[in-house]
Amino acid sequence: MKRIIALLALGALAPMIQGAIGTFVPLHYCPAFGLLLVVGLGLHWRSTAGGIALSATLGVIADLLSGSLLGQHMLLRLFAFGAARACSQQLNLRGVMPQAIFVAALTVVTALGTGALTSFFGAGRGVDGEMLRELIPHALINGAFAPLGVWLVERISNWFSEADAGHQLLQLRPRNRLT
Amino acid sequence: MAEFRSRTPVTALVVGLVAFAVVAMVVDRRSAPGGPERELSGWTGAILDIAAPVQKMIAFPFDLTQNAWRHYVSLLDASDTNAGLRVRLAALEEENLQLREALIATGRLARIAEIRADFEVPMLPSELVGVDPSPWFRSVLVDRGRVHGVRSGMPVISEHGLVGLITTTSLRASKAMLVLDRQSAVDGIIQRSRSRGIVRGRGTSEMDFEFVTRGSDVRIGDVVISSGLGGVYPKGIRIAEVVSVSDPGSALMQTAKLVPAVDFGRLEQVFVMLRRGPTMEMLYADEQEGDLGTTASERSGP
Repeated sequence: MKRIIALLALGALAPMIQGAIGTFVPLHYCPAFGLLLVVGLGLHWRSTAGGIALSATLGVIADLLSGSLLGQHMLLRLFAFGAARACSQQLNLRGVMPQAIFVAALTVVTALGTGALTSFFGAGRGVDGEMLRELIPHALINGAFAPLGVWLVERISNWFSEADAGHQLLQLRPRNRLT
Repeated sequence: MAEFRSRTPVTALVVGLVAFAVVAMVVDRRSAPGGPERELSGWTGAILDIAAPVQKMIAFPFDLTQNAWRHYVSLLDASDTNAGLRVRLAALEEENLQLREALIATGRLARIAEIRADFEVPMLPSELVGVDPSPWFRSVLVDRGRVHGVRSGMPVISEHGLVGLITTTSLRASKAMLVLDRQSAVDGIIQRSRSRGIVRGRGTSEMDFEFVTRGSDVRIGDVVISSGLGGVYPKGIRIAEVVSVSDPGSALMQTAKLVPAVDFGRLEQVFVMLRRGPTMEMLYADEQEGDLGTTASERSGP
């Protein structure tokens, strides 16, 4: 329970931090913390149903703080969670580079999804050249911050699951018999 | 079979959440700014209320550094700026005097004084506390909400020109869509030639002036102001300046590129106009009567 509360608090704080930083730095040069958290959930959260519910909640919070249609971020966060979960079963996404590449690609797909949904619901222009130009640095920044986001979710998940279970996880290392 | 059974709740959850998201998007799209769906309450409103002070707190050290730097730098050439402004003030006073003389000569000053009351809208100074967390939308969060009299559908301006429109409110905070947003469209006219068009946001720092009829007099440097048509924004608010005009070729319409009058990168304080445009009043008159009670008559003005 503690880890769910901690992740929800972090997920709610993420768009707020991003919104505050956005007053000083152009947002496409700022990592999408919400997306990174959802990718972390997809890679490290044990319960699929729990991860889906958490991702959807984080999406709703982002929708409330954003100018998007209500439900737009929620749908894209669900997709991001599903993509991370599915890809982690087929590919090795444990390393820094695979995570960075995966998140950069996911950023592009979710941004195109945002444009497509906006255009489909007639709420504005869809994907255009300007958006693609801004997308490249944003994808690179997200990719660079991806390992940090994934690591954070993993740490919170492990830390609070130890606290919830009332015992501590011990890390075992093999002893070198030659010494 | 066992695998199917174990996957069924997850599949049902995904289908349910996707359906919920799609329905939410449809409902959100159908609800115009000013509708009751845009007035957040309960936990949804609480998130917006919490976001405003949290974002203010996060931005505080950055603000402090930026302000200190700006004030220091501005002090370096304060004397030159002061001298320049004095010259400009004198020129404007002279121009103002000449205009007044001309108005008196034509007997229009008294009539203008009478109708001026129509344009005097109460303004609520608000502080911008955060921007949209998504780079694909252009909206801002301001620290004034329903308890301060802010309702969705009210225009937001700054001393330089039009900023946007309040789209969602909670008790103590509001979300405003900027004119830069891809969803924004404002009916505008060229101040000099009175040529009409639609100012559309592009999601970047520039805007488009669309649906300008071929042959309209649009030149680089022209100022675009709100026309008042559409009934959302009042007439005469500065929106942008023309930076390039495209060659229409064989098309019936021409397009121009605009830079906004407001420097959105440096926007800190805005003013919420505490009166909705006639379209918003017409659309949501029932809701306002019930919601605002006595203040409705004050806002609708003479």
